[in-house]
Amino acid sequence: MFLRLVADSFRRRPRHKLLTGAALALGIAVATAALSVSLDVGDRLAREFRSLGANLLVTPQADSLPLEIAGVDYRPVDGGAYLPESDLPKIKTVFWHNNIIAFSPVLEVGVQAWSSASKNALSPGVLSNATLFGTWSNHQVPLPDGSKFETGIDKTNSWWRVFGRWFSPDSGECVVGENFAKRNGLKAGDTLNVSTRSHVQSISLRVTGLLSSSGPEDDGIVAPIAIAQQLADKPGRYRKLYVSALTKPEDDFARRDPATMQPDELERWSCSPYVSSIAYSIKQTLPGADVRVIRRVAEGEGRILTRVRTLLWLVTFASLLAAALAVGASSAASVIERRTEIGLMKALGAGSHMVGFLLCAEQLLLALVAGAVGYTLGILLAGAVGAKIFGAAPQPSLLVLLIILLLAGLVTLVGSAVPLRRAARYEPAPILRGE
Amino acid sequence: MPHVPTNNRTMFWRIIRGLLGSNRSRLLVVLLALGTGAAITAALLNLQVDAKRRLTTEFRAFGANIVVSPRQVSGSNSNTLDYSVRQRIPTDLQGQHVGVLAALYVVADAFGPGSQTASRLVVAGESGDYLYAEITPHNSGSHGGIFVSSSSGKPGCWVGIRAAQHAHLKTRDLLTLRMESREEICEVDYIRSVGGPEDDQITVPLDMAQRLAALPGRISLLQISAPGTTAAINRNIVDLTRLIPDADVHPLRQFTETQANIYNRISGLLTATVALVLVLTTLCVMAAMTNVAMERKNDVGLMKAIGGATRRVLRLFLAEAALLGLTGGILGATVGLVLSVVLGKAIFGVAARLRLVVYPVAVILTIIVSIVGAYPLRRLANVRPASVLRGEA
Repeated sequence: MFLRLVADSFRRRPRHKLLTGAALALGIAVATAALSVSLDVGDRLAREFRSLGANLLVTPQADSLPLEIAGVDYRPVDGGAYLPESDLPKIKTVFWHNNIIAFSPVLEVGVQAWSSASKNALSPGVLSNATLFGTWSNHQVPLPDGSKFETGIDKTNSWWRVFGRWFSPDSGECVVGENFAKRNGLKAGDTLNVSTRSHVQSISLRVTGLLSSSGPEDDGIVAPIAIAQQLADKPGRYRKLYVSALTKPEDDFARRDPATMQPDELERWSCSPYVSSIAYSIKQTLPGADVRVIRRVAEGEGRILTRVRTLLWLVTFASLLAAALAVGASSAASVIERRTEIGLMKALGAGSHMVGFLLCAEQLLLALVAGAVGYTLGILLAGAVGAKIFGAAPQPSLLVLLIILLLAGLVTLVGSAVPLRRAARYEPAPILRGE
Repeated sequence: MPHVPTNNRTMFWRIIRGLLGSNRSRLLVVLLALGTGAAITAALLNLQVDAKRRLTTEFRAFGANIVVSPRQVSGSNSNTLDYSVRQRIPTDLQGQHVGVLAALYVVADAFGPGSQTASRLVVAGESGDYLYAEITPHNSGSHGGIFVSSSSGKPGCWVGIRAAQHAHLKTRDLLTLRMESREEICEVDYIRSVGGPEDDQITVPLDMAQRLAALPGRISLLQISAPGTTAAINRNIVDLTRLIPDADVHPLRQFTETQANIYNRISGLLTATVALVLVLTTLCVMAAMTNVAMERKNDVGLMKAIGGATRRVLRLFLAEAALLGLTGGILGATVGLVLSVVLGKAIFGVAARLRLVVYPVAVILTIIVSIVGAYPLRRLANVRPASVLRGEA
């Protein structure tokens, strides 16, 4: 009898149930979409901030002071210490290796450059002093587990633009800064000769593209690090390493000195991806290296990220509130309209509890069906919104499904309960009389 | 039908009052839905406008976003600009201060107290606004204020942490800088650690560096922190290039681009949320109005029977919906704007500025939502008075 009553109510007014169901489904869809996007958005935004460039700088520990002016190190090649390039794959073995999204070593050499129009450095056609930045681009780093990790300066400094293409790894190719190219009349496809200022050994490089970096590289040459090592006579060495890592914004706990921590605190500290704990673990991995946090980038990034995340949670909360309201209001509306029916049931001897139970069962059944449709719709919606705004759809997560199921059931019941309590007070007689 | 304006209008409003008063609890549900919709819309729109301003402020903490450097000439590394370039930069844009820091970099030898071995390092002479929100003990005011005139009467200087380790310097030490035969003495104000090239440098007042390098009135570069969005900054660069034709003006693109990307993401998300909330509010109103439509069948039948044209009856309902939307919108948007000020304070630490343009936008959106939500009432147009009067519901 119970089931028959429920089934009958669906059969008798399909249109009405459809509208209520649609409101429920849409409410749940919006809630699902909002939750999935906001669970996903933190990571996406953190990744977005990595376009600020490296937040960690690795330099040799026993180094002389760099004479760095406007981004160019003017130390002679013989001054200062170097680090071995062969250690670099180890960076991807630290505890936080998944958070390290890119790194690139740099070796700078002052060179003299002339274009292919002239034959040698002694009688150059166009000769100019420039800095050659030896680094990686699209470099495959072999990892201990046999796989490869592709990284390079194009990943750490993602705001750099190359008109043409990047040089291939380990090739005799280079890209030249746009100002340098303009001064020397170079374009992609030209051949450029470089030699150190001290000796006449020269290397021919093919220009594959023009670089716009908005930094000192605009006035220089960027080439594979092997070229710089050959010119500097420092095989397999680099001078600084830029590391770009996804981090958790630092709090007071993160800024403490790990040396003063209790063992359990140290464990908690190193198990949070703070920029300083990532720096600490890189330092443990690279012998002789000094790992510094580029505070200006890291602090600013952390602060803005914290704020933006709060804002996003607020937005999620707003959409959940609106969704709850929609679900609640449509449940309430569907109970209010059942007035006459309730009166009749009570006149025939049904108790208030029985009536409430029946209506709740109906509502929950509706919520379940609408919820399933809404969840599917919501995942699609989240995918569309995610793709539109962040260029990638969030992964459907079980957590969202659980929260949504709980929320939908709760809101439906609360939304129905208020008019139901009122319905329980209806006197059957006036309703039957048609008043 | 003869047109009797006054009577008609009085009657019109009387009927509307009657319609609104017929079911108080439902009126409340609809108003609550519209009010919440309006509040969320107003709050989010206001935060969206405000987020732009807040983000541009936050991003200024990264420091300069424009650099003016000498145009490099072939075969030279040590060009300088004349200090007079600084005067050509506007002091404020759109009412906001433009930060300018002039710097001259020289390579010099530094001697700590009692040490005979020199450390060769970069001395940065700086003058102007201090552009960075630095996380160091002495985080105060402008650059000019930070070089406190010390007890020794010598000008103050800042020493990067690694430079301090190399030259064995500590706070309040007297430091001698030597370049060729020229010497300058300054007192160490504080040791800074920022993780940048500044850690290896000594920062002194600009005039001291100029005397040291024997380059009076010359600077290596100008760092500018321009306010505004990425587009505004790019416009500034075009203006500056025209003002300073003899130098190279370029943006620090990593900051301006990230700022634009982040803002676009946030703004997109807020717009999407506002759209979804409005759709949901419409659904709420629709659900309530479906019931209203059923209940009013008899009323409409009666109205039609005594000569109410279908269009006039529908106009009544339209006016009712618009009135509901207006009330809900005005109340909700007020609450929403107050809310956004409070939330702005919670998120950005500074109360969001009220953008009054948001108010009418939110109210108008709510009225539209309310009218669209009243769509189910259209069904009443098909009510046949005869069947209603016969009692065939």
